[in-house]
Amino acid sequence: MIRYPSFSFVFFIIFIAISLYQIKYFILKREVELAKINQDIMLTKSDINILRAELNYLKRPDRIEKLAIEKLNMRPILPIDIWNIEDLVSTQNIINNGELL
Amino acid sequence: MASFFTIGYRTVSLANINKYDEATKVIKNNDTSSYIKKNVARGDIFDRNKNLLATTIDISSLSINPQNILNKKETISKLKIIFPSINETILLKKINTTKNQINLIREITPKDHVDVLKAGIEGIIIEKKNKRVYPGNSLASHILGNTDIDGKGTAGIEKSFDNKLLNGQDVNLSIHAGVQHILKTVLSEQISKFEAEGGAGVIMNVNSGEIYALASFPDYNANNYRKSSDEQLFNRASKGTYELGSTLKLITAAIAYESKLIKETDLFDVSKPLKISSRIINDDHALKLAINIPEIIVHSSNIGSALIAEKIGPDIQLKFLKKLGLFDTVKLEIPEIGKPQIITDKKKISTMTISYGHGISITPVHLSAATASIINGGLKVSPTLIKNSLKNIKKKRIFSNNTSTEMKNIMRLVVSNRYGTGKKAEAPGYLVGGKTGTADKVKKSGGYFKNKNIVAFTGGFPINEPKFVITVMIDNPKGQKFSHRSTAGWIAAPVISKLVTRIAPILGINPQTDKTLAFTNQLLKYKIRGDEL
Repeated sequence: MIRYPSFSFVFFIIFIAISLYQIKYFILKREVELAKINQDIMLTKSDINILRAELNYLKRPDRIEKLAIEKLNMRPILPIDIWNIEDLVSTQNIINNGELL
Repeated sequence: MASFFTIGYRTVSLANINKYDEATKVIKNNDTSSYIKKNVARGDIFDRNKNLLATTIDISSLSINPQNILNKKETISKLKIIFPSINETILLKKINTTKNQINLIREITPKDHVDVLKAGIEGIIIEKKNKRVYPGNSLASHILGNTDIDGKGTAGIEKSFDNKLLNGQDVNLSIHAGVQHILKTVLSEQISKFEAEGGAGVIMNVNSGEIYALASFPDYNANNYRKSSDEQLFNRASKGTYELGSTLKLITAAIAYESKLIKETDLFDVSKPLKISSRIINDDHALKLAINIPEIIVHSSNIGSALIAEKIGPDIQLKFLKKLGLFDTVKLEIPEIGKPQIITDKKKISTMTISYGHGISITPVHLSAATASIINGGLKVSPTLIKNSLKNIKKKRIFSNNTSTEMKNIMRLVVSNRYGTGKKAEAPGYLVGGKTGTADKVKKSGGYFKNKNIVAFTGGFPINEPKFVITVMIDNPKGQKFSHRSTAGWIAAPVISKLVTRIAPILGINPQTDKTLAFTNQLLKYKIRGDEL
């Protein structure tokens, strides 16, 4: 004869077993996801590293200088190109006051 | 009841998470977090502005397992389509073996990788490997050095900081990529122009000793160092020792002022060659008069320098050379450092010749450090390639502030005075001061070449308030029609002019028109006499 407490005990055990089964596979799934994310991070880091190396290869001073001269008609800064801000202001004042005319 | 417990236990145990079960093992094997920790990528090397100079990237290499190939002909033809450079006969020989793995291509591109996978080639093995790359190519190859096939540092910073880099830590150098590029460009142009064998250059902060640029020619592409010759790999700036001629007269003059054995008004008769035992010391341009220390330096008189040294004596001379670190290898953070050679027999002739740079071989880095100590107020400078490494170290005093001030004035006169040997170092807008040096090249077997020389210039700018010292050395330049002579004044000095003009704006040093005038006016107290007398 199966009594009420025994019945509920069996029910409880089945419930625990199913729950543990669910938890186990939930965690396994998450661990696989985590491993995949870690792998993605590694690959992305590797990609970033390659891109960083490429960027630094492309912005080599000799290349930038060559491009600036050839494509932008630029030239290296000379001392004559450097002005103090006060000198610029006083020159502007002279121009504004028409003193140069 | 017992049967309930048995069934219950078995149900739970089947559902329980067993850390040894197969599924979990697979996941654990793919757990990349532990891989990341175990396989730390080699650290990067940066310049002072965080520009990347060396890094490690992942590459794919291609191998094949001949035992897994069913149709060799088809495999070879598929590989030939993707890699046309493959020799079919050699490949067939390679795969006719009992080995389980044959290396085919050490480095394949991502596109080739995809093509190989798409082609479905039998027995193919693609492995990920690390590769050290230097985005600047030859920009700082002598400083950075290299790693071997296993990723271990074999030269330069890569070797000196191998442990740190292997632990994934980065190294921040004192090098300024822009200044380094300019030094290399200007110096290599001059080396080509004068068909020289090579050269070296150093740009250093006079106070901190931080090296902003260090170049050696001939140079090499750091990504291709295995194909470089020994001549290219040799670092002439920090390992090569040379007799740098009259640049050493600066040290002689500074010792003279510091020792107080010679007054500025003391005159030295340079009208006749000096005969010491079998050796004769003479000047390129003989002056028929007695001259003082500033005039000796401006005219670069060997006789005058030798007479100063005679008065100072060998003990004081060698004591100061030792204080300046010219007896020892320079404590630079790379393994390629040269030990100076100095004649220390204290003979009169040795004392005299050392005073003008003969009988003393030093590296360009040594000369930079000595020049910095002369013009920075007299404090000893230890050159470094690491950013901020010597910031809090207390510096020893070698020369007084007065000696330093006097030397800065004289160095300026070498460039600005009409008789100065370094006039071509003048850079518009900036006060440059320094000293030229031309010396016969020393033979490896001993003695000197008759027709080969070394030209050098060492100086500082702005010389009224020095911030940087520049030293250049050019090995065996050939005199050209336009240069008349192959002396430092014609060959090394123009390099300084070009360098200062280009690097000063980058380093935030503004042209000093007001201060230039004041500094130049106070130089009028020096009356430099010349040929007209």
